[in-house]
Amino acid sequence: MSEVIDGDMIPDIAIYGEFGVLDLLRVLLILVVAIIIAKGISVNLRRVLKDRMSKDHVEIINKVIYWGILTIAFLLVLPVFGVNPSGLLVAGGVAGIVLGIASQSVVSNLMAGLFLVIERPMKIGQTVNIAGTAGVVEDIRILSTTIRTFEGLYVRIPNEKVFTTDITNYVEHVARRLEYRVGIRYSDDADKAIAIIHRLCEEHPLTLKNPTPDIFVDNLGDNAVEIMVRIWSPSKEWYGVKKELLWKIKTALEGQGIEIAFPQRTVWFANELQKREMRDGADDPGMH
Amino acid sequence: MFGQYTIPVEIAAEGVSLAIERDDKGFRYRSTCNGVTVEKEILTRTGTVLINPVEPLHLPKELAKALLIELDKTLVVEPATTKTVFLTFPIEIGVFITANETVEVLDIFSLRPQKFTLYGDPRTGVICKYWRSTVSATVPAVNPRREGVVQLRINNSTSDWVTVTRAVFNAYTMKIYYNERLVSMRATMKILLRNLAETTFTDEPLERGMTKSLELYTVRKLQVPLTKFIMEAGL
Repeated sequence: MSEVIDGDMIPDIAIYGEFGVLDLLRVLLILVVAIIIAKGISVNLRRVLKDRMSKDHVEIINKVIYWGILTIAFLLVLPVFGVNPSGLLVAGGVAGIVLGIASQSVVSNLMAGLFLVIERPMKIGQTVNIAGTAGVVEDIRILSTTIRTFEGLYVRIPNEKVFTTDITNYVEHVARRLEYRVGIRYSDDADKAIAIIHRLCEEHPLTLKNPTPDIFVDNLGDNAVEIMVRIWSPSKEWYGVKKELLWKIKTALEGQGIEIAFPQRTVWFANELQKREMRDGADDPGMH
Repeated sequence: MFGQYTIPVEIAAEGVSLAIERDDKGFRYRSTCNGVTVEKEILTRTGTVLINPVEPLHLPKELAKALLIELDKTLVVEPATTKTVFLTFPIEIGVFITANETVEVLDIFSLRPQKFTLYGDPRTGVICKYWRSTVSATVPAVNPRREGVVQLRINNSTSDWVTVTRAVFNAYTMKIYYNERLVSMRATMKILLRNLAETTFTDEPLERGMTKSLELYTVRKLQVPLTKFIMEAGL
């Protein structure tokens, strides 16, 4: 039962049945190579995902990939032991179909989660709107993303939905524009109003100097001269500035005699109106 | 105002009042600047207070990591030359308490209005603290409680004339020195291309005998990854 392989003097001594030393070496070689590959991928994956995912999730992905590679290696060495993997493949195929149907959504969520980690449309702590749910990203997990809404609610969104829907990230860019439309009366001086709003923007520390505020008469409306106010602020402070500045504009304008216009209509009568004076309800037919 | 004081202490100057008084729990800190009052209780038996200018990054909120100084006059710099100009920069005043060789920030205030700006575009740009400065050939006369003077060495290493309208600095690496008359820094702007420059600070006083400010990022044990600022969105 001994052979000489490729001229090397390694006798293939049978260990058990037809399973010889060379078979053992082949098995060990495949397993060692598989372990080296799995370890290499694991180390690199940990390095790549370190800053993108939580440590727990990185470990789970690592383990899945590590044991997946070892399972493939194990299937590769089965023929050496005289086990035909085609039988396993048939059984595995049937089981795979059953599992595949059962875990379709899990796998799609998992894949979407991996793509989200690669694409990184948002980071933990950022303010986003995903499919109409606005809030702060609490966690990006393998299967789902969790959001803390502004009302304090915990919302779990499956990654497949996150990946396939529109995501609005409010703070990904460092600066964001806010917009007001201020309506003043036709009798007021629009240039003066613009100058007042410019001064307010200049004095406010959180409205950015550059890009410069853009303030102009945008529309001559039915009831008001509409002044458009476009201001940039740091994204993280956008909401605070938006809340604070509108009222300051209103009070500053009114302080200078410029009033915010309200809907009104002038009615002209075809005939001159007849005026009738009433004395203490004497002429009121309801007063008896 | 700048310097080291043993508590209890009381200082009042230029619209700022600051006092650390003994009370039953330890000491009570109280400061008022621009109508804003800060009160803190200090639980210690003894200590000293250090007041010095700090990096202008903290007011009204810590949003910026860089300081953008816009020049009131455009500088046109000759190719392959080095020129020195003097600019001003805003001052924030830090109050530190020290005891047992440890330092803690008590308060930061400023006598100047604050403003932010964006350097670059909203996607890749940087939020900076904004300051508009005069450009002088000699050290300008400024109030050291409100403004400092930065000596800027502009090195045009290109073979083109370059226009400079602003300078952006990594504010975490500022090296501020002070005495009762002047707050100062030394910085260099090396122009690499017509629209690209790097700025750095030099750890040297502008005059002899100046005291180095306690840097806030040192007190807070912050890691500063870069010491220079790359101006890649124009000069």
